[in-house]
Amino acid sequence: MSPPLSRWLWHAVAVALLAALGSGLYLASKRIDYTWRWERIPQYLISTEGDDQKAPFDGFVAVSEDGKTLSMTALRGTETAQFTGFSMIIAGNGDLVFEGDVIAKTDAISAGPLLVGLWLTLKISALALVFALLLGLLIGLGRVSKNPAARDLAAFYVEVIRGTPLLVQIFIVYFFIGTVLQLSAFSAGVVALAVFTAAYVAEIVRAGIEAVPKGQTEAAQSVGLSGLQTMMYVILPQATRRILPPLAGQSINLIKDSSLVSVMALTDLTKAGREVVSSTFSPFEVWFVVALMYLLLTGVLSVAVRRLEQRYAVQG
Amino acid sequence: MNDANPVLIEAREIEKRYPNGVLGLKRASLSVKAGEVVVIVGPSGSGKSTLLRTFNGLESITGGEIVVDGHVLHQRSADLRALRQRVGMVFQQFNLFPHLTVLENLCLAPVKVLKLPATAADQRARELLAKVGLSSKCDCYPAQLSGGQQQRVAIARALAMQPAVILFDEPTSALDPEMVGEVLEVMKQLAIEGMTMCVVTHEMGFARAVADRVIFMDAGEILCEDAPDAFFGAPKHERLQSFLRQVL
Ligand SMILES: Nc1ncnc2c1ncn2[C@@H]1O[C@H](COP(=O)(O)OP(=O)(O)OP(=O)(O)O)[C@@H](O)[C@H]1O
Ligand SMILES: [Mg+2]
Repeated sequence: MSPPLSRWLWHAVAVALLAALGSGLYLASKRIDYTWRWERIPQYLISTEGDDQKAPFDGFVAVSEDGKTLSMTALRGTETAQFTGFSMIIAGNGDLVFEGDVIAKTDAISAGPLLVGLWLTLKISALALVFALLLGLLIGLGRVSKNPAARDLAAFYVEVIRGTPLLVQIFIVYFFIGTVLQLSAFSAGVVALAVFTAAYVAEIVRAGIEAVPKGQTEAAQSVGLSGLQTMMYVILPQATRRILPPLAGQSINLIKDSSLVSVMALTDLTKAGREVVSSTFSPFEVWFVVALMYLLLTGVLSVAVRRLEQRYAVQG
Repeated sequence: MNDANPVLIEAREIEKRYPNGVLGLKRASLSVKAGEVVVIVGPSGSGKSTLLRTFNGLESITGGEIVVDGHVLHQRSADLRALRQRVGMVFQQFNLFPHLTVLENLCLAPVKVLKLPATAADQRARELLAKVGLSSKCDCYPAQLSGGQQQRVAIARALAMQPAVILFDEPTSALDPEMVGEVLEVMKQLAIEGMTMCVVTHEMGFARAVADRVIFMDAGEILCEDAPDAFFGAPKHERLQSFLRQVL
């Protein structure tokens, strides 16, 4: 069945309001006399700045007729060299060049600073997420354990981590633990994010496990399953469906929280944005683009998790 | 039922005090012989479930002693797993594993606990499902079955472990009336085959027809026990008489 007309109307209202907000922002930027320079942004996404081909020794340059090959003969000695695959010839036919002179430029499309930053954000988030899930599962199991020591330790962990700001934790991991264990900035970032997120994952896991009816544990135990088997084959599979949606939210938080690692010597997406701003003086454009790139990451994750949820939701 | 059969469950003066101070069982003693069908009746809150659940250690006891198939249960007993492999349990709410198919529900414990090869467990599960009349439902999930069908699967799941005794805690109380019969029929069949059973139920018809012995509990105590004829025909205890007046 198709949705009624009034529903489309309301969607149109939402779009109109968003458009109004957008033009409001545009007008506001007019008032502060801001010049938009969107054309500067692409080069920070994809850099076309090629590498220089330098002369390996002193000598004479010869350009082939089709202009596709450069050959060099040494000034002293018998050394020769040939170069191909460049995009632009700098030296002329018969020129005398010295070692280190630029004789041609090679075409090289490489990721610009923003994409490199995005890649680091993706890497650090993905690694931190894997560790956070493992650690969080362990601590979540500790929270519901029969052993009081395990329960206490897990509760202590969760309280301490949730009770302190992530930024402070990052400083502690980076400057204290990182120094003691000689961690690189990247490892320290992964550790800090994983440790922080694990506390929230643990609470999600605990809630998911506690939501499985008690009769399930009793039934599992009455057929002779051990505590571990009960958890693995009966409780966790059922808890998974309840755990997935909040876990998706937490993963999205992790990606966003990862912007705080830019306080360390790490050029993640946020840090890259800051660097690009300082070289372009186009803060509005850059931060909009950075925001869009974060949105892209979190959006892809949302869709992936929704797929997963649908798969788990098949049976009653 | 033969009087010379060995004793499977021997409860001696067991007491259960819940953490909140409620006394669920007061010095209850009971013995169940192999092959015997014991039905436990009594008003709500009289401790029937509590008694039954102490037999497989789902409730710990705070006094007395229980010996089940050679396993001794005290206040703090370990090794409940070995005991639970010998004692099956069927719950009022079925408690089937909703994420597993009917067949998987039956195979899980035999494969994981008894280490039976998957093919052997599968074959036995199919035989048991045929026995409870559910051969066609092997690959269904529990949510796709009626209450009566689910409870029959639950009985088959208990049987899959080849227990020495099965405990039933009000197996038909959560069922629509038209489904009670099919479950009681399966239980009756089990009784005829000589399965040892402890059944908490409000189905007095079943007690009369199938039980070897009927136990009456009130306020955490076992007040009296008798063969069904005498239990229903000539109740000795005054509180049993008033209980029977209410339920019959
Ligand atoms: N987990 C518990 N904590 C505290 N008290 C409990 C607990 N379980 C049962 N009780 C109490 O112990 C007594 C016996 O309960 P039990 O469930 O064994 O009764 P029952 O005979 O099975 O009743 P019903 O017919 O309603 O199932 C009741 O007074 C009940 O309130
Ligand atoms: Mg009960």
